[in-house]
Amino acid sequence: MTVPEAAEVGWYVHVPFCAKRCGYCSFNTAPLEDGAMARYLDALHREIDLLGALAWAPRVRLATVFFGGGTPSLLADDDMAAVLDGIRARFDVAPDAEITVECNPESVTREKLEGYRGAGVNRLSLGVQSLDDAILPRLGRLHDARGARAAFDAAREAGCANLSVDVMYGLPGLDLDGWARAVDAVLDWRPDHLSAYGLTLDAGSLWGAAGVEGIPAEQVQIDQYWRLARAAATRGLEHYEISNYARPGFRSRHNQIYWRAAEYLAAGPGACGFVGSTRYANVKATPRYCETLAAGALPIDSSEQLSSRQKLGERLILGLRTADGVPASWLETRLDGDERLRRRVDTWRAQALLAGADDRVRLTEAGFLLSDALFVDLL
Amino acid sequence: MVLGRIRNFSIVAHIDHGKSTLADRLLALTGTMDAKKAVDQVLDSMDLERERGITIKAHTVRLLYRARDGQEYTLNLIDTPGHVDFSYEVSRALAACEGAVLIVDAAQGIEAQTLANFYLASDANLTIIPVINKIDLPAADVEETRTQITETLELDGGDALAISAKHGTGVPEVLEAIVARIPPPEGDPDAPLKALVFDSFYDSYQGVVVYVRLTDGRVRPGMRILLMSNGRACEVQQVGVFSPDMRPVEELSAGQVGYITASMKRVADAKVGETITEAARPTAAAFPGYRDAKPMVFAGLYSIDDTDYEALRDALEKLRLNDPAFTYEPETSLALGYGFRCGFLGMLHMEIVQERLEREFNLSLIVTAPSVQYKILTTAGEIIDIDNPSKLPPPDRIEQMDEPYVTSSVFVPTEFMTAIYKLAQEKRGEHRSLEYQGKRVHIKFDFPLAEIVVDFYDRLKSISKGYASFDYELSEFRPSDLVKLDILLNGDPVDALSIIVHRDKAYEKGKALVEKLRKVIPRQLFEVAIQAAIGSRVIARETVKAMGKNVTAKCYGGDITRKRKLLERQKEGKKRMKQVGKVEVPQEAFLSVLKS
Repeated sequence: MTVPEAAEVGWYVHVPFCAKRCGYCSFNTAPLEDGAMARYLDALHREIDLLGALAWAPRVRLATVFFGGGTPSLLADDDMAAVLDGIRARFDVAPDAEITVECNPESVTREKLEGYRGAGVNRLSLGVQSLDDAILPRLGRLHDARGARAAFDAAREAGCANLSVDVMYGLPGLDLDGWARAVDAVLDWRPDHLSAYGLTLDAGSLWGAAGVEGIPAEQVQIDQYWRLARAAATRGLEHYEISNYARPGFRSRHNQIYWRAAEYLAAGPGACGFVGSTRYANVKATPRYCETLAAGALPIDSSEQLSSRQKLGERLILGLRTADGVPASWLETRLDGDERLRRRVDTWRAQALLAGADDRVRLTEAGFLLSDALFVDLL
Repeated sequence: MVLGRIRNFSIVAHIDHGKSTLADRLLALTGTMDAKKAVDQVLDSMDLERERGITIKAHTVRLLYRARDGQEYTLNLIDTPGHVDFSYEVSRALAACEGAVLIVDAAQGIEAQTLANFYLASDANLTIIPVINKIDLPAADVEETRTQITETLELDGGDALAISAKHGTGVPEVLEAIVARIPPPEGDPDAPLKALVFDSFYDSYQGVVVYVRLTDGRVRPGMRILLMSNGRACEVQQVGVFSPDMRPVEELSAGQVGYITASMKRVADAKVGETITEAARPTAAAFPGYRDAKPMVFAGLYSIDDTDYEALRDALEKLRLNDPAFTYEPETSLALGYGFRCGFLGMLHMEIVQERLEREFNLSLIVTAPSVQYKILTTAGEIIDIDNPSKLPPPDRIEQMDEPYVTSSVFVPTEFMTAIYKLAQEKRGEHRSLEYQGKRVHIKFDFPLAEIVVDFYDRLKSISKGYASFDYELSEFRPSDLVKLDILLNGDPVDALSIIVHRDKAYEKGKALVEKLRKVIPRQLFEVAIQAAIGSRVIARETVKAMGKNVTAKCYGGDITRKRKLLERQKEGKKRMKQVGKVEVPQEAFLSVLKS
């Protein structure tokens, strides 16, 4: 395995299990069958041990750990503690490390979250998605609006001081008024961080494959985007990434690693890592992931060495997702000798989609909405 | 080699009447090719030809045949192209023969190209062997076909051989008839060399490979030869025959058909119709001059990526080595930059050239709306030829515009007559004559060439369920009420989209064109107005709305690679877009001018 370049890296841990797959989801999930969780945890511990035994392991410090899924909150609190203990035993985890767990409202209790906190988890991301009890079951979610609120309160009561909420717009049956009500309600909870995703029909999702009725018109989706952007601004949340808002000081440190094209390790089935110039992915199927580790091998399934041109392209398209943007010099390197692209970038500036302050360039909130049209050219 | 045992012949037919199948049979039967090894229809050797099921270039193959008289004969089969665009190439190949096998499909009967090919063969004074093919088909009517051959072609239909090339039935009789009926070539092997170039292709190792028919003398490696039209001399590297691959021989002599290589770099050095002779001992007179292939359709060719201009020029030059029938010269377009005005024999030829440039040279191209060549009488009394609408003088300087007309033949079952007349009317056709032939009619129309070059043939085929056949030849220029239709994107005219149309059809055409463009031009950062205009008068308008939303909601650690690859694929697609002013216009927008 390639050696990390930076002294500090992040770590993404994938927990593949879900009680039920949601219609819009294309992530790697596995049904929670008898004994599956135990086999997975056994494999995960082996993976942590194997990574920890690599020559460079003692040299890197973990700035963040992120449990994503699937549904990581299906992990019992003592299982969570054991995983984090395993990581700490092998790696130098920064004292102020951000340790996040994604939670589904129906799978958390105050007691479990207190247990997580005791294990070192200091940030929770709650998958609320919608506050409309007519829409939630259509999404395949197992909670209702009240359950979402209850989970939020439980997290606060469990002492979570860095709490994020996930919501979605552009959902089937969601009109602008319904969205405005949901936005206002969620903001009234005063979350520290809010992720708001416009619905995308991914090819790997149930809806992507079978189609879905009732998706609002493009203009309605655009209005929903702006409705949230304005409401969030009024409440003092900064729109720091295309789909992410935070109170000052509460940006997701882990996710910023991705957008800065910085390095992160991977553990769990299908998890992706980026080390040195290599992007790699673990074996996706949970049983095979477990078998590979049982045989004593790291479960890396594929890897790709990025060229310097690809690296630059990624840095641009990831960095420009954020309000911080990228150093102007990076863009200049890309534009050097490409007059056609330079003219196109000028059009973006002229239309106030791209802005520059000092030595950085960034997309405006209007630019975020069209960003892929620019990213195609920047690659 | 005894001249008496050589036969030079061609197989001609309407498309799909079984020319390539019969050729394959002849190859197999004479052991020229192991039947097991036979790639289907070996003579159609270009990928494109096999894909489209048509022959584009002439091919030649030598068959050794032991006839029933016990003698071994050398049969040189000169295959000919099989599409209406390529009748000139057919005529060149026929000139190298003494005879032709004319195939008629027993179920379809005589079709437009049967007739056209028959006339070409008769004009070349060839002995014609009529062959009725596909007698195995349930719908075959051999007697009716014999009657058609007698009545329409004025050949002896009773003499026609009835065969099934597919099953091999009657094919040995075709070989016997070739030996018995087609006269052997005449010529003096001891006279000075006189060889006719009837085709050529460019081979990257050997240079130009020239197909020749020797009428007198001999040619062998090391001989210095002279190209009589340009006085160029060069030394023969190799001579050979096609059996069916190129096979070197020691010598070619009078009456024979084969190939010569002489380190020639360009096909233009040894043009079709050229006479090759011996430098030291030239023949007295060259063959009567062949007419140059005359392009009928003109279009601009531009590389999508401006930096490929040089590559495009090189590719055109190389392609022309193989295809002397198309012409090109540099032109400039305000919208598209630097490119080339190219002349083609017809639309199929244009598509083939474009496809070959893209496939063999890895270029992405834009082809502008095709145009025919118009004759303009200016108010100053000058006559100028215009093959590019954007070069048309302003209306107040035009006294008269003439457009080319063709005379054409349509063969069609009577049940489709009404539909054919309707199509002809739409295409400004003028009816000349109508002749009933059993269940079919033979209708002659005059058409403006511009009306038939684009989609006429496809339309004809579709409204007649594939039964109609069509052939045409250029006849004359006639005065016509024509206007230039311009397309404007956000107010700026796009010269590459201008077309010349008849005034009566301008409105309808303009409306169809902007509608089509609206569908193919993708949404951009700003609204795009598409207008059709005659002079300063806008006659149709459509709008492409500005892009509303184009964003990836989630891009975390596991999404990055997939996202990058998705964008990279989109970027590949965008390479097929041309920036016209600020508007990105996809390649197919330029083609939509054809199809609307």
